[in-house]
Amino acid sequence: MKKNLFWSFLAVVLLGIGTARADVDGAKAEAFVKKVTTEGIEEIINANVSQQVKDQRFAKLFNEALDLDFIGQFVLGRNWRTSTPEQRSAFIKVYRELNVKTWSQRFDEFKGKNFIFSGTTPSNSKNQIFVNSSVPMEQGEPAKVVWRVKQSGNNYKIVDIIIENVSLAITARNEYSSFIKNNPGGVDALIKDLQKKVNQPVVKK
Amino acid sequence: MSKKILMSTAAAAVLFLTASCATAPANPSEFDQYDRFETFNRAVFKFNYEVDKYVIKPVTRGYRAITTPFVRERVNNALANLLEPMSSINQVLQGEFKQSAVSLGRFAVNSTLGLAGTFDVAGAWGWKKEVSGFDSTLAKWCVPDGPYLVLPLLGPSTPRSAASLIVDAYTEPVYWAAQNDANYKDKIMWGSAAVVYIAVREKTLDLMEDLERNSVDYYATMRTAYLQNRAKKNVCINSDAQDVNYDFDFGIEDEDEVFDAEETAAPVLPQHKQSDIMIDKAEIK
Repeated sequence: MKKNLFWSFLAVVLLGIGTARADVDGAKAEAFVKKVTTEGIEEIINANVSQQVKDQRFAKLFNEALDLDFIGQFVLGRNWRTSTPEQRSAFIKVYRELNVKTWSQRFDEFKGKNFIFSGTTPSNSKNQIFVNSSVPMEQGEPAKVVWRVKQSGNNYKIVDIIIENVSLAITARNEYSSFIKNNPGGVDALIKDLQKKVNQPVVKK
Repeated sequence: MSKKILMSTAAAAVLFLTASCATAPANPSEFDQYDRFETFNRAVFKFNYEVDKYVIKPVTRGYRAITTPFVRERVNNALANLLEPMSSINQVLQGEFKQSAVSLGRFAVNSTLGLAGTFDVAGAWGWKKEVSGFDSTLAKWCVPDGPYLVLPLLGPSTPRSAASLIVDAYTEPVYWAAQNDANYKDKIMWGSAAVVYIAVREKTLDLMEDLERNSVDYYATMRTAYLQNRAKKNVCINSDAQDVNYDFDFGIEDEDEVFDAEETAAPVLPQHKQSDIMIDKAEIK
């Protein structure tokens, strides 16, 4: 009897710990990233459609899968707080356009490759989790790609992509804060420069 | 003799530069605070960029033009094989005895059956490659990294990693082999360094072009990419932070805390907090 009591107590404690830590549903988060990458590879990279259609599909997928408002706010860092609402929305707009453009090019590199998922790692931040994956390369070691996923209700969004230990969000945050620090034009100059990057022609390999 | 002087100078430089320096930042989004030599670093970066543009990149493109991916993989394998003794020695120093034996075994198998390392036979047997230099050993021993430093031609670095490069050179088979030939010693060393340099540059050619094209501050991008990778790879044995995990909440208090700390120019957040705790304790006493 005492033993039974002990075990049920232990079970309750363990259950308590389990539910307290299970902030984000890891399996669902992983399934979400899997779905995004599969869609990207099957319906965009490997699809037999024109480049224009591919670009449109990619922009749609990218905007749906990533929370770029959230990322943009983190990326602008403390400059976000001092920016006007106009600057904020202009920044988010151009940041979104630049990312769609650069990642659609980068994503092309995954032609003929696939992602191998290897579970999740908990995050310090609330409602967030890391989904781990790797991509076998033609040469050398597989590339390590980690997805930072944010959950709100039943909705999942990617808030960071970490390739070989280098985070998209932290890199941009450091780059932009350095730019603003060294530029008298501040956030406005940054928005202008980013717009130039968006407008420059796509490099064909 | 001159090498000895170089070694001790490097060691002294490391001590000098790291003595007053903090260890790697705990919050990687604050990396730019660790660039105390930014003006100097930017100048060297610009120099490297020009050398790369007019000399290194054209040579690398030439190398790519005259070789196939198959040939380049053979070259890369052979060069990686020459690093196995270095890995093996350093893995002993890090207490990774099993992996040290694997590295040594890989060197023996791949140097012979793998045709001078051009084919990774041991890898196919499941003997996993793990490169480890003296820098990883120092990291494990909790030797501070020091500030960010851009070296001429070698690029992003820190005092610890720069000093480790010199130590690593002594554990290379090319260095041992060159000692037997007094006449060609220097030529062998410089020749092998040049081959390594171009082979490494070739591997990063597309990636760096991508980064440069999409950066508004290429220097800052390279700096943060280098430091992020380092923070993740080099974890001190006493460190409780096994995983670099940055805060990613906005509009919530802790993000504001980071901002406030930035504004009051606190160099290292955790240390700052720790000293506060210590003051509290002192007051209690």
